[in-house]
Amino acid sequence: MLKARLKNLAFQLAALILAFGAVSIILISAGASPWEAYKNMFLGSFGSVRKFAEVLVAFVPLLLVTAGLLVTFSAGLWNIGVEGQVVMGAIVTTWVYRLFLESGWNPALIIVLAILGGMVGGAIWAALTGLLKTFGGVNEIFGGLGMNFVATAWTIYLIFGPWKRPGVASMSGTEPFPDEFSLPLLANLRLSPWALALGLIAIVIIYFLLQGTYFGLRLKAVGKNFRAAYLLGIPTWRYSLYSFLICGALAGAAGAVQVAAVYHRLLPSISSGYGYLGLMVAMLINYQAIWAVPVALLFAALNIGSIQLPIVMKLDSSLSGVLQGALVLFVLLMEGARQKLIKRAS
Amino acid sequence: MQIELKRIHKHFGKVHANKDINLLIPSGAIQGILGENGAGKSTLMKILSGFIQADSGSEIILDGKRITIDSPADAIRFGIGMLHQDPLDFPPMRLVDNFLLGLPGGLLLNHKKAMQDFAALAREFGFALDPESYVDTLTVGERQQLEIMRLLFLGARVLILDEPTTGISAAQKEKLFATLKKLSAQSITVIFVSHKLEDVENLCGRAAVLRGGELVGELQAPYETLKFVELMFGKVVTLGEKQSLAQEALTLSLNNVALEDARIKIKHVNLDVRAGEVIGLAGMEGSGQDLFMRACAGLARTVGGRIQFKGQNLTGKSYHTFKRHGVNFLPAARLEEALVPGLNLMEHFILAEHPSGIFIDQPAGEKLAAERIQSFNIRGGPLSNIESLSGGNQQRAELALLQTPLDLILLEHPTRGLDIESVIYIWGKLKERCQQGASIIFISSDLDEILQYSDRILVFFAGQVSNPIEASQTSVEQLGQLIGGKGWADA
Amino acid sequence: MRKNFARFAMFAMALMLALSACGQPAATQAPATSAPANEPFVFGMLYVGPYNDNGWSQAQYEGGLYVEKQLGAKMLYLDKVNPADRPGTTPDQLAEELVAKGAKLIIFSSDDMKDGANAFAKAHPDINVIMTSGDQVWADGKNYTATPNMTNIMGRMEYGKMIAGCASALSSKTGQIGYLGPLINDETRRLAASAYLGAKYCWEKAGKNAADLKFKVDWVGFWFHIPGTTTDPVQISDNFYTTGYDVVISGIDNPVNLGEAQKQTAEGTPSFGLAYDYVAACEAAPDVCLGTPYFNWGPEYTKAIASAQDGSWKSQFIWLGPDWSNINNLDTSLVGFENGPALSADAATAVKSFIAELAGGLNLWTGPLNLQDGSAYLKDGEVATDQQVWYLPQLLEGMEGLSASK
Ligand SMILES: Nc1ncnc2c1ncn2[C@@H]1O[C@H](COP(=O)(O)OP(=O)(O)OP(=O)(O)O)[C@@H](O)[C@H]1O
Ligand SMILES: [Mg+2]
Repeated sequence: MLKARLKNLAFQLAALILAFGAVSIILISAGASPWEAYKNMFLGSFGSVRKFAEVLVAFVPLLLVTAGLLVTFSAGLWNIGVEGQVVMGAIVTTWVYRLFLESGWNPALIIVLAILGGMVGGAIWAALTGLLKTFGGVNEIFGGLGMNFVATAWTIYLIFGPWKRPGVASMSGTEPFPDEFSLPLLANLRLSPWALALGLIAIVIIYFLLQGTYFGLRLKAVGKNFRAAYLLGIPTWRYSLYSFLICGALAGAAGAVQVAAVYHRLLPSISSGYGYLGLMVAMLINYQAIWAVPVALLFAALNIGSIQLPIVMKLDSSLSGVLQGALVLFVLLMEGARQKLIKRAS
Repeated sequence: MQIELKRIHKHFGKVHANKDINLLIPSGAIQGILGENGAGKSTLMKILSGFIQADSGSEIILDGKRITIDSPADAIRFGIGMLHQDPLDFPPMRLVDNFLLGLPGGLLLNHKKAMQDFAALAREFGFALDPESYVDTLTVGERQQLEIMRLLFLGARVLILDEPTTGISAAQKEKLFATLKKLSAQSITVIFVSHKLEDVENLCGRAAVLRGGELVGELQAPYETLKFVELMFGKVVTLGEKQSLAQEALTLSLNNVALEDARIKIKHVNLDVRAGEVIGLAGMEGSGQDLFMRACAGLARTVGGRIQFKGQNLTGKSYHTFKRHGVNFLPAARLEEALVPGLNLMEHFILAEHPSGIFIDQPAGEKLAAERIQSFNIRGGPLSNIESLSGGNQQRAELALLQTPLDLILLEHPTRGLDIESVIYIWGKLKERCQQGASIIFISSDLDEILQYSDRILVFFAGQVSNPIEASQTSVEQLGQLIGGKGWADA
Repeated sequence: MRKNFARFAMFAMALMLALSACGQPAATQAPATSAPANEPFVFGMLYVGPYNDNGWSQAQYEGGLYVEKQLGAKMLYLDKVNPADRPGTTPDQLAEELVAKGAKLIIFSSDDMKDGANAFAKAHPDINVIMTSGDQVWADGKNYTATPNMTNIMGRMEYGKMIAGCASALSSKTGQIGYLGPLINDETRRLAASAYLGAKYCWEKAGKNAADLKFKVDWVGFWFHIPGTTTDPVQISDNFYTTGYDVVISGIDNPVNLGEAQKQTAEGTPSFGLAYDYVAACEAAPDVCLGTPYFNWGPEYTKAIASAQDGSWKSQFIWLGPDWSNINNLDTSLVGFENGPALSADAATAVKSFIAELAGGLNLWTGPLNLQDGSAYLKDGEVATDQQVWYLPQLLEGMEGLSASK
C-alpha cells in the first residue's frame, strides 16, 4: 500500500520534472536561463505578501470554476461552455449593479444581490447547454462552444451599445462602479477575503457533495455508465441538468467575483480565460476535488509570476501558458504509463 | 500452434487468482477449460492473450519458443486472439469499421476489400450481420459473432473463447461448433472456456479443470460427467425438483400489443401473467424476444395495444414508472447496461435501494452490501470494484440488485456465465421471489433451463410469437423446431 | 478518504493563515526611498500594445529610451497591458510590479489605463504618475480631481491630423478620404475632425468644390485589433479602398491600412495611406505612405521625470503643439509630421506651405462650424476654446460615420 503510494508520487514527480524540462529546453533555445525564469516566476508569485495576494485574486475565480467543473466531469460531461458561464455571471452581476446603483439601498445588500444574480445567470446559461443536449441532442461540447460565442458577443454588444460610457464607444469596458460597490478588499491589497472565502467554501461543499452524498454517488453513476444508471432508477437527464446548474452557478460566481472584486465593471475579456484554465486544472487533478486547491493555486501563481518574465528578462508571459499546458500533457502521459505498469506489475 | 504454460502465477493484491498452473495444449486441439465461478479461468486466458501479465517466473512457450506477451496487440502478432466473456467497450461505430480495428499497416483502408472479406466470413459461419449497421445496436450474441470474425480476419492461429455459448442460440451454437472443428482441422488451436459440460463434451477432445486458482485435473474424451462435476466443485451437485408456484392473481396483461424496432415487427401479442408464474422466452438471438422483454419494462415503445400492470394501464410509460410499480429489468450486457464500472459493490447496492437523505450512511451501506454479498454468495468485498469480480460474480451482483418487494422481474440470460452450482442456487433465490408473489419473465438461449424453470413458454421466430406453451407439455425437440421456424401451424 | 480530508483541511487552514497575515496593515512593502546618489533613477512605463507596434506604443517606448539617454535614468516597462493580452490583471496591479522592481515614477501611457492610473495614484501618493493623454488634473477640464502626484501629458495632435488631412486631400484622385478610427471618445472625435478640417481646407485651396469631398470615419472599437472582440481594421481598410476611397488615414495604434493600400495598388488602383503615432511608421510600406503625424514624447517626459528627480515635481496638465520653428525637431517638438515617400513633390510643397500657414496662426477650429447633427458648434468667426476642442461632442457636419455608438 505504502509502496504503491510512493510509486504514484514518483510518477507525478516525473511528470513535473518532464514538464519543467520541456519548458527549459524551449527557454534555452530562446537563449534564456531556465533557472532565472523559474526563480523570477516563483518570486513574482510568492515573493511578497502583495504578490501572494495577487495570486489569490486569480486563484478565487479559478477555484470556483474548477469546483464547478468537478461536478460536470463527475456526471461525464465536458462542460466547455464554462467560459461562457463565467461571462454570463459577469454580465448579470453588472446588470444587477446597474439596476440598483441609484436605488440608495445598502451597498452590501446590492453586492450580495449582484453576486447571487451572477450565479443565477451562469446557472441559466449552463442549463441552456444542458437542455440543448437533452432535448436537442446537441453534444455539450459543441453546444458549449456556441454558447461561449454568444456570451462573448453579448458582452461586446452591451459594452459597445446599451452600457457604453457616455460619449464613448470602446472595448475598454463599461464605466467602473463606485468604490462602495466593491466587495471589501484587504487594506492596501486588491484581495477580497469574502471572495476567497466564497471560493474555499465552494470547493469544500463540492468535495462533500461528491464524496459523501447520495446525490454525488448518483452523479458518478450517471457519469460512468449512463445506461446502467438509468436502469438503476436514476433520473439520468435530470442529474445531468443538475450538474450543469451547479457548475454554471459556480462559474457564474467566478464571473461575479471578477466584476465585484477585481475589475468593478464589465470588460470584453472579463472571464480572463479562467473557464478554459479551469478545464486544464480539472484534467490535471483527474477530477479529484482534494487536489483542486493546490493545483488551482499553482496555476494562479504561474499566471501572476509570469508577469515578471517580460519585465525582468524580456521574455513573453505566455510561457506560463506553455508550462501549464505541458504540465497537463505530461501528467496525463505519466498517468497512462503508470496504469500500464501497474497492470503488468500487480 | 502448440501452447505450453509453465508455473503460471497471478496475484491481484491478496487474491491468488492463478496458482502454479502447468498445461500443455497441442497444436490443432480443442481444449476445454472448466471451473466454478472465480476459479481463475478468465485470468489465465487474459494472461495468454496479453490483457494482463502473469507474475514473474511464469512462462508461456509457443511452438517450443518462450515468448513474453505484453499487450493484446503482441498476442495477435503471435497469432493469439481472444473473445472475451464480456465484450469490451464498443463505441457506436459501424460493424465494418469495428471489423477493421486493430488491423496493422497503412492508414488507407481498403474498404471494398474489407466488405468482401466481411461478407465471406459471415457466410462461412452463417452469421446474419449487416456490415453497415452500428455495433451498439447488436445483442450480446451478435457482438460475439462479430468478434470471432474479426479475430480470424486478423490472422489468429490460436482462438480463445471465454464462455461464448451463453448468448447464442442452439442453431448458432451448432454452426459455431462446426466452424471451430473446421478451424481445428486447419491446425488452429482452440481454447474453449465454458460452464456447460455438454458443450465441452460435444466439442473438446481434452479438458482441464480449475478450482480456487489451481489446475485440479485434466481429462480426455470420452468423459464421465460426474467426474467433471466433482472436480469442479469438490462435491456432487444435483438438480432440484421442478415446481410451479403460479397463483391466481394477474400481474401483467398484454392486450393486442404491437412492437417495432429497426429490424423487427411484432404484432398482436396477448398474454396474461399470473403472480408467481415464470414465463420463459425462447428464440434465436434477435427474433424479437429482447424487444418484447423491453416493452414489458417500458424500455421500448409499443406501437399498439395495451399493457396493464396489476390493473393499471402503463402503456407508453417510462421504465421508471414501471419500476415504481414494482418491475425490475436486468439486461444481459452486464458491464454496459447493468453495472457501473468504477463503482464498488456497496455503491451499487446503495444506488439500487434509492435511499432518502442527503449524506451517505456508510455503516448502513456496508451492512447492506455484506448481507447481499452473503446471500448471493458473491466472491468480493463491499469495496471491491465491480470490474474486478469474475464474470460469474458480476452476474450474481447484478441479480443481487433486485429490489424487494417486486411484482415482476424481467431477466435477460439470468444465469449467463454462472457455474452449474450457482445456476441452481440463483434459481432457488428467484423461486423464493415467486413464492412472495413476483412473476418472472426471462430470456435464455438454454432450452433446458427454459424447460426446467418456466411454467409457460413463448417462442419467438422472426417477430412471430407463439401462444403460451405449457412447459410440462413440450420438449427440447419441439422447442428447437419452433425456434428454427418449423411446426408453427399448431403452435 | 478521511486521510485525504485531513490533508485538504490543512491546506485550507494554511491558506486562511496566509490570508490573515495579508490582513496586517503593516505588511505593505515600502520600496527603498533613499537610493544611493549614484544609482540611476528608475521609472516604469506601461504600454497598451506591443513595444514594437510601429505606432503608439513604439513611440512611447522611444520616448522612454530618450529619457534614459538624457537623464541617465533606467526604464522598466511592461507592454501589452490590456485585459485581452494579460487576462486577470489590472494596470494598477502591473504598475505595482514595476514599483516592486524599483520604479519611482510610472507612466501610464494609454487612455485605456485611466481608471487604473487613478486607483494607483490614490493608493501610492509617494509615487509620481504620468497619465498620458488624460485630463484628470486639468483644472479647467470636466474630470478634474486634484491629484498632486499626477501629471497629464498630451500633444496637440490636432495639428498633425490637419496636416495629414491636407496631404490626403492633395493626393486623392477620387476625393474620397477614409479615416480608420479606433474607439470613439473625445480624443478620437477631435482628431478625426481635425483631419477633416485639414482635408477640407487644402481641397478648397486647390480650387476644388467642397461638395465633391467625401470624408468618412469607420471605427474599430479599440486602439488596435483584438481578434474576436473588435472589428478587424484590415477589413475596414479594405472596405474603404474597394469602394472608391483612395486615401485612408490611420487613427489606430498601428498602420494596418498601409498593407491594404499596397494590395489595392498592386491590383491596379493607385491607393495611399497615412500612418500615425510613430515617426518611422511609414517604413512599413513606404511606396504607398503619404506621411506620418507622430508624437515625440521624449522631451516632455524628460522634463517631467527630471522634475520628479530633483524634487520640483508639480502636478500639471500639459497639452502642447509642435515647435513651429521646426516641427520635426526631435529635441523640442512634441508633435511632428514626417512626409512619406509616396507624397508627390507638388503635394509636398503644398503641405509645406500649409504647415507654414498653421505656424503663422491659421486656426481651422474657427466658425462657422456645425456638429454632425446640424446643430451649431461655432458661430461665424468664433474660435474654439481648448475645452471645446478637447471635449468635441460629435463629429463635424460634412463628415460621415458614427459620432457615438448606436
Ligand atoms: N482486476 C482484478 N482485480 C482484483 N481481483 C480480480 C481481478 N480480476 C479477477 N480477480 C479475482 O480473481 C479471481 C479469479 O477471477 P476470474 O475472472 O479468472 O474467474 P473465472 O474463473 O473466469 O470466473 P467466472 O466463471 O465467474 O467468469 C476472482 O476471485 C476475481 O475476483
Ligand atoms: Mg470468467
